[in-house]
Amino acid sequence: MDLRRFLKGLQSIVGEQNVVYHSDDLLVFEYDGSVDRGMPEAVVFPSSTQEVSRVITLARKEGVPVVGRGTGTGLSGGAIAPPGGIQVAFPRMNHILEVDTENRLALVEPGVINLDLDTHVRKFGLRYAPDPSSQKACSLGGNIAENAGGPHCLAYGTTTNHVLSMEVVLEDGTVVNLGSLARETVGYDLRGVFTGSEGTFGIATKIAVRLLPVPEAVCTFLGIFPDVESACTAVSAVIEHGIVPAALEMIDALTIQAVQKVSDAGYPDDAGAVLLIELEGLQDEVDEIGEEVEAALWEAGATQVRTAEAAEERELLWVGRKGALGALGSIAPNYFLVDGVVPRTQLAKVLAKVADVSRKFNIPIANVFHAGDGNLHPCLLFDERQPGALDKIVEAGTEVLQVCVDAGGTLTGEHGVGLEKKGQMPLVFSEDDMAAMVLVRDAFAPDNSLNPGKIFPDDQSHTPHAQPVYPGMAA
Amino acid sequence: MESSLGDQLARLLGVTAVLPGDGHEIDGLTPQAVVRPADRLQVSEVLRWASSEHVTLLPRGGGTRTGLGNVPRKADVVLDLGALDKLVDYQPADMTATVEAGVTLESLQEQLASGGEFVPLEATLPCRSTVGGILSVGSGGPLSYAYGLPREWLIGIGVVTPQGVATKAGGKVVKNVTGYDLNKLYTGSLGTLGVIVEASFKLLPIDPNDGALLASFSSLDDSIAAGRKLLHSPAAPMGCHSVTSGISRRLQDSLQAASQDLGPGEEETALSFAFFSGRAQATGRRLEEATALLLAEGATTVQRIEGSAAKGMLRWVTDVPSEVNPNSTLVIKISVQSRFAARASAECGEVLLFGEKPEQMADPGFGSVRMFWPEPAESPARGTEAEQPIVDAVQKARQIAHRYEGAAVVEQCPLSVKRQIDIWGDAPDSLAVMRRIKDRFDPLGILNPGRFLGGI
Repeated sequence: MDLRRFLKGLQSIVGEQNVVYHSDDLLVFEYDGSVDRGMPEAVVFPSSTQEVSRVITLARKEGVPVVGRGTGTGLSGGAIAPPGGIQVAFPRMNHILEVDTENRLALVEPGVINLDLDTHVRKFGLRYAPDPSSQKACSLGGNIAENAGGPHCLAYGTTTNHVLSMEVVLEDGTVVNLGSLARETVGYDLRGVFTGSEGTFGIATKIAVRLLPVPEAVCTFLGIFPDVESACTAVSAVIEHGIVPAALEMIDALTIQAVQKVSDAGYPDDAGAVLLIELEGLQDEVDEIGEEVEAALWEAGATQVRTAEAAEERELLWVGRKGALGALGSIAPNYFLVDGVVPRTQLAKVLAKVADVSRKFNIPIANVFHAGDGNLHPCLLFDERQPGALDKIVEAGTEVLQVCVDAGGTLTGEHGVGLEKKGQMPLVFSEDDMAAMVLVRDAFAPDNSLNPGKIFPDDQSHTPHAQPVYPGMAA
Repeated sequence: MESSLGDQLARLLGVTAVLPGDGHEIDGLTPQAVVRPADRLQVSEVLRWASSEHVTLLPRGGGTRTGLGNVPRKADVVLDLGALDKLVDYQPADMTATVEAGVTLESLQEQLASGGEFVPLEATLPCRSTVGGILSVGSGGPLSYAYGLPREWLIGIGVVTPQGVATKAGGKVVKNVTGYDLNKLYTGSLGTLGVIVEASFKLLPIDPNDGALLASFSSLDDSIAAGRKLLHSPAAPMGCHSVTSGISRRLQDSLQAASQDLGPGEEETALSFAFFSGRAQATGRRLEEATALLLAEGATTVQRIEGSAAKGMLRWVTDVPSEVNPNSTLVIKISVQSRFAARASAECGEVLLFGEKPEQMADPGFGSVRMFWPEPAESPARGTEAEQPIVDAVQKARQIAHRYEGAAVVEQCPLSVKRQIDIWGDAPDSLAVMRRIKDRFDPLGILNPGRFLGGI
């Protein structure tokens, strides 16, 4: 391929200023939120579906793999370009096209930021429920690729439960519509299987999402516990009361120390765990269930319980949780975030085993997680600059995932497999299971030219493009 | 001489696993045999055999929806999954359960109730409807507005491929993005891609209090409009339904048979149903506010129903299709954006078939309208003379659905009409991708050939 000619071709589609290819400019596109790296040949900023289609068509003609990129907040290397590949990013396709309050849906372009959509629709008494921790920065297109979750997915489900339809560009440049604005649609649920396909089926260029009404009342409870075990007991007690809170989050002692170093979230220094519970609904049920939640927290051994109903006060209770990952920077320069999921009842046991891994490898592990749905987020803390540190981290991370799988769980709850965990797929799925998955990719993208080298192990017979080992990738 | 398919299956699984196909006719085709594997391994054996012999299989759960789908291209053997009826794993504290595909919805709910939980699947005839069948059809019921479709609750699946290979996707945890979400692909695929043998679900706690409101209106339009208002109020129910007078008369009859009284009902009234659940106080408040709202919106009467009677009412509404279908010539379900449900319903109400308007059941929250055109008083001449008006009515309903960017699925019609149409309607622009998926999963076309959209 003649790179100069190819770049010229891209420029003629999207305009000269909308193709980035100088190595200095490309540096920020080399990584996402994970530890993987990969330099794209170019990054293209299209402004319309037609431009996306033409870019993909040209790239395919030249044999260049294409990766859709949201805002690079992903945590599994999903948006990292394969060697010789280009990225298509959406800062120009960032418009909220329509908010239909009667039907409670919004039509958006893929570059719209998650929180911007939510903030916008709240003016109409509506909300967009999936709220990944990166919601201030992450885009809806990326949310679809990864089937993003968030704290409030406990009650409302993940991205897939909120996407109605999508316009997508396929590998051959054709534009098709998946799903429909009606909630029930005919044929295979292509919208469902596309969501979470990590950019390997196509690139979404227009997205219709469901909106939910803002509840009448919201109440947040913060419980401080002497240790993780007692906080886990509280989680079980709440669930046993037949309560499904809107959110149920936990942070452990190491995270609490980090949070307290950078901001005063009001946690006692010797706290062993903090549990956050949010209830939503009619005032009557929030009051009634709230009493039960509070009682359950005390009974499980909470040393303090705080509650807040007003928005600003609730925000204060959430400060520690929302700022937790950033605060870890006060302890170590890098973290490797493992996204394993386990059945809720296994939480305490699995956390104890994670602590064993921490001791075995002598790696500090901070836990910040979605306790309600058993989605752990052990953060393995390290310093990338120390020789061999990354290898050790990846080995320890794999061991943590093995612990999750052994407990009846799985590799990833909301971050995706991407580059990071593709080597671990056989921990959960057989060759036959993966072969069935690859059949679907073959139907959407027979040449596997969209985001190749992700999700499936390199030796998977159906994966024609070999992927060189990036730093941080499990062998 | 080659032995019959029944004999071959009997050699494979034993004579007790095979029945003659007589009496199991599907769209005019009589299968040569019905085979009932005892477990998943036997399902694999049957599929391997069918693949090597190019025998077409029609998977069946409880057989409550076998009429759904186009006329099969070929129907050699019915694959009855009813013997796969075990609850594999249930952990109340995890709020998840794993079951075999042949478990009936009723039996599953009974077992989950012991843990104070339920799975939000809905189906007519739950004593016969199986988990696998419900997933294959992929449809919901009266509470779809709140619970969505089965796709929202399925977290893991076990599927035997047409080649007989056991595969799985998803898992037993409530949040999972490991690998492609094939749960979504198999749900609603009408058994055309593989045979579902196992499913894992996330569950919900049973709410302690159920309540329902039954309101009468002078017209279906008024009833739907009031339902829309109610759904957008703080007292929003879990689901809201409007039915025409013909269906409400059936309710009165069945309640009278159960010696319950519906109160003073006019002959020509439409009814609105609204279903609520939750904690006692909140449910009470919702019922109170909703009653006031419905009266303000023109309801002539509003009756409050609580506890087991509310459950019974929900059961009755869920079963309306199985009650009304036997007396209908044509049944069509339209799915549109919810705000268009009222208009689609009003326009469809004017589509006459043999001079009769359809009875209707509308869900103004989820955006679906079911229309039942009654059998004509005098049976019309046979042949094309009788078929053409039905085909025309289907066309008109489709045009209305398209006007509102929705779909119209023909759920029931005479076989002679079915042979002329695609019951799923016009194919979307993604049909080529759907065909490629089918070709890759089932290249020999042995599973339910021809029954799905576009002849898939």
